[in-house]
Amino acid sequence: MNTTSIDFKSFIEWDNNPFILFSDQGKILYLNNAAEILFGYVTKQELYNISLSYAPQNFGYKTTSLTLNYDTFMFHAITVGYENEEQISLRLYNTPRIKTERKIEKDKLITTDINILLEANIALFRTKNTNSLKLLTDQDLPAFKIDQNNFSKLLRKTLDAFRASDSIDISLKLMFGQHVLIENKRESIAQFSIVANGRYTNTDAEIRTLAEVSQIKCMMKEHLSNLKFLLSNNPVID
Amino acid sequence: METFFSTSDKIQHIIKSFNLTKTLFVSSIIIGESHTGKKSLARYLFPDTLLVSGNDQKKVEEALENNNELIITNFEKLSNQNALDFTNKRIIATADYMGNQDLIDDLFAFIYTMPPLQERPEDVNHIKHLFIKEALSILMIEEHNFELDDVPINLTKNNKSLKRSIYMHLMRQNMDAQDIESVLYHYLIKHLDGNDGYREYLGLYEKPLIEAGLKKFGSQLQLSQVLGINRNTLRKKIHEHNID
Repeated sequence: MNTTSIDFKSFIEWDNNPFILFSDQGKILYLNNAAEILFGYVTKQELYNISLSYAPQNFGYKTTSLTLNYDTFMFHAITVGYENEEQISLRLYNTPRIKTERKIEKDKLITTDINILLEANIALFRTKNTNSLKLLTDQDLPAFKIDQNNFSKLLRKTLDAFRASDSIDISLKLMFGQHVLIENKRESIAQFSIVANGRYTNTDAEIRTLAEVSQIKCMMKEHLSNLKFLLSNNPVID
Repeated sequence: METFFSTSDKIQHIIKSFNLTKTLFVSSIIIGESHTGKKSLARYLFPDTLLVSGNDQKKVEEALENNNELIITNFEKLSNQNALDFTNKRIIATADYMGNQDLIDDLFAFIYTMPPLQERPEDVNHIKHLFIKEALSILMIEEHNFELDDVPINLTKNNKSLKRSIYMHLMRQNMDAQDIESVLYHYLIKHLDGNDGYREYLGLYEKPLIEAGLKKFGSQLQLSQVLGINRNTLRKKIHEHNID
């Protein structure tokens, strides 16, 4: 089969896995759509350095398994290749996201004022810690339906992870302009976030599980935890 | 109605957190040494809630089925904590120790730690006054003019040992010779045995006699005169009973 007549460029362009072609000076010669988005979260230099570190010894292609995380991007392997001295390519492979079947237990959901839950959790945190806490919250957030017990556990664990931090900033606010349409009804999104100068990561897996059960999107970084949730009274999502 | 008093910051935060979650369906547990007031606190916050003891698994399970709000004491005594379903219920549990940490973590949204009395000096003072008042009325002793600070207190077992030390002190203060004889009589009936009883149990009388005498009269010479025994005999006795 003769492949030379086929133009593969658009296939690479629209591949969901980022692909970048660097010059020997580290300049970008080509990048596909996915890579363009990725560059919002990582520098050119960092990816170029990775390419050089994982390049094969001779001309050719080498695939290495490794874990790379840039914000919400997660990669489990890269292929670095070059066929001449002038160009080097880097391809990053997205980690598949496992989407488990979620069962929403509607009878567990009770209309709740989240500020009460949050304050109770802060009081609980204060029984064990003396860190200085700053709280910025929106007292007018509408009550919405959640599993109170599960949400409490999530708040407790998220807060606990910051127990060694000497200053903790907690905020709870409505995300202006962001909505999710559920059955043609616009539902608001709220964000709970904690910023501090250090975080224990040993409970991350539990926090993720708890968040998932309650349909909460969570993002955790070194100094920060974010929980995003729907202020909905009709939680039928996905 | 149960009253609860504490000036401890920690406990104030616990009360605040409970008051906030009073209307929510969340499960909470208070863990702390025995006799620190966990049950009193739960009762104080939830005066009308059904209370069951963890000593009886079956009863707890039955109560859970029929109630949306429940206090479970001695949670650590439950034989099968796994079998409990707290979904959409307001549970307030108390336990002397954590037990299976993962399980507790999984079952309860709010896990509080009750500080022992030793960490709450101001509370001790308040509770001491309460106990003394109670003891005076129970023992039917007319109000005394004794210094409160003189009451020796033992906090090793929190409220239990505190209460006991107050009662003991009050009893001691009010005993006459006849009571002491009777105390000794009962003690000896229980313990007298062996083949050296006389010498062994004479110490029960001699030791406090010499200790009190030395404290009161200061010198051994003076004490020997008060007791009407030879100074050397007194020295020998002091040595025998290891009195400093």
